[in-house]
Amino acid sequence: MNRPIQPTYTLDKVGEENFALNLGPQHPGTHGVLRVVLHMDGEYILQADPVLGYGHRMQEKIAENMTYPQALPYVCRMDYLGALSYNLAWVLAVEKLCQFEVPERAEAIRVIATELNRISSHLLWWGAFLLDLGGFTPFLQALTDREQILDLLEEITGSRLTYCYFRFGGLPSDVDEEWLTRVLAFIKEFRDRLPRYHDLVTGNVIFHHRSKDVGVILPFDAAGYGLSGPILRGSGIEFDVRKHEPYSGYDRYDFEVPVDQNGDCLGRYNVRMAEIEQSLRIIEQAIGSIPDGPVRSKVPKLIKAPAGEVAMAVETPRGQLVIYIVSDGSKKPYRVKYRVPSFANLSIFAKMARGQLLADALAILGSLDMVIPEVDR
Amino acid sequence: MATTNPLQKALDKVGIEYKPTEFPNCGLHCSLVLEKEQIQPLARALAGKGFFIETVTAVDRIKENIFECIYLFNHYDQSQRLLVRVPLPRNRAVQPSIGRIFPGAVWHERETTEMFGIRFEGCPDSRNLLLPEDADFHPLCKDFSGVS
Repeated sequence: MNRPIQPTYTLDKVGEENFALNLGPQHPGTHGVLRVVLHMDGEYILQADPVLGYGHRMQEKIAENMTYPQALPYVCRMDYLGALSYNLAWVLAVEKLCQFEVPERAEAIRVIATELNRISSHLLWWGAFLLDLGGFTPFLQALTDREQILDLLEEITGSRLTYCYFRFGGLPSDVDEEWLTRVLAFIKEFRDRLPRYHDLVTGNVIFHHRSKDVGVILPFDAAGYGLSGPILRGSGIEFDVRKHEPYSGYDRYDFEVPVDQNGDCLGRYNVRMAEIEQSLRIIEQAIGSIPDGPVRSKVPKLIKAPAGEVAMAVETPRGQLVIYIVSDGSKKPYRVKYRVPSFANLSIFAKMARGQLLADALAILGSLDMVIPEVDR
Repeated sequence: MATTNPLQKALDKVGIEYKPTEFPNCGLHCSLVLEKEQIQPLARALAGKGFFIETVTAVDRIKENIFECIYLFNHYDQSQRLLVRVPLPRNRAVQPSIGRIFPGAVWHERETTEMFGIRFEGCPDSRNLLLPEDADFHPLCKDFSGVS
């Protein structure tokens, strides 16, 4: 078993080439306000110590002081790139606690919206990761396609980033046939454009040199650090909450869980690119089989959850989110715990960065797809 | 009869009875209340059966004057969410660390320490994680009312 790093701020042997380097808190490579104290030996990292908390807002305490519907918009502020997954997790957790029914049409629309959000998150990651590696063009291409998804989601949710679209018992408003047709048109167009992504980057020699065999995560370490999401699947472990604990009718759709055995940055890249295609498949099936009917069931205006506890897991674009609620029977939750995927995924960074070149550490950080406000909560 | 359930195997190994809970209702496959001495042997057995750590946290039961230290474990092959609850007295909340068994638990324990004041004995790193390094208050305690 590897001993976790005990950071020492004064290095015993300070040579000419040994120095401490602050990466962040403001650095484009950290994708948010994250600081990493790096102890360097020339270009190589001896020790990395992430310093968190710059974006800490005490989300769990906020939720404890609010009623269940009041906390709803706050939840989506954690992972601003995958807000609908958080939105979904909160409504599902409360629905499970209070045993509310959800109409099938609402479930299908939830899946469509969440998967669109997943694609938009992966596209932004794709652009930002390659920006970290020094390529500017991919970022612009990814944003062009992401823009179309944002337009589609804006139309039904009213916002472009921190969506709050799902309600307890269903949705606030239905979508029309025309919107569904436009989603299908987008999928067709996007499928035609996907080969360009691979032509531009996936086969690129420079990209391979930067990502192949860099930042390898062994499956054994994955379990010890509680990793999840594309990072875990990039190490060959087929774990996806959508398959393991199906929610919102994901068990009705036929899709695969992409895995890659290499565990390096390239492996995680391949998993995310394959996931985009699987998400397109899920959306197509959901639109193809969408039932008619209401989108919202009868839910009491004042929600008083019965005393008890509930854990609800959802697969966000970054991995497994668990919302654990303890209720004491009042209209406010007694305790809320957000088990966020990025937090666990970032905790392995110190181990991965040891002995790496600084430039590779930035590639690793990019491949982990961090959202820092989610880590800090 | 031999079982194929990894959770049951792990619990058998440390002599804890396996009692499943209704998963569709609460999202947990099993829920246990344990003594603090039992957590390290259990964590070792779970690590040996391929379980991963979801989180370590706590619930402040101020009326009963205890902290409930909460552990969530799960399995990558088949979903087996295990919740372990360890009641600790509020005035001397000390809990053995599992940070050397699950390295990922270190960050969760650091967070629980700063938020509740529960000390994890043997945790390889006990500095504040999310709060400022000099913060000596514990915001998730129910009697916390703000910093002046």
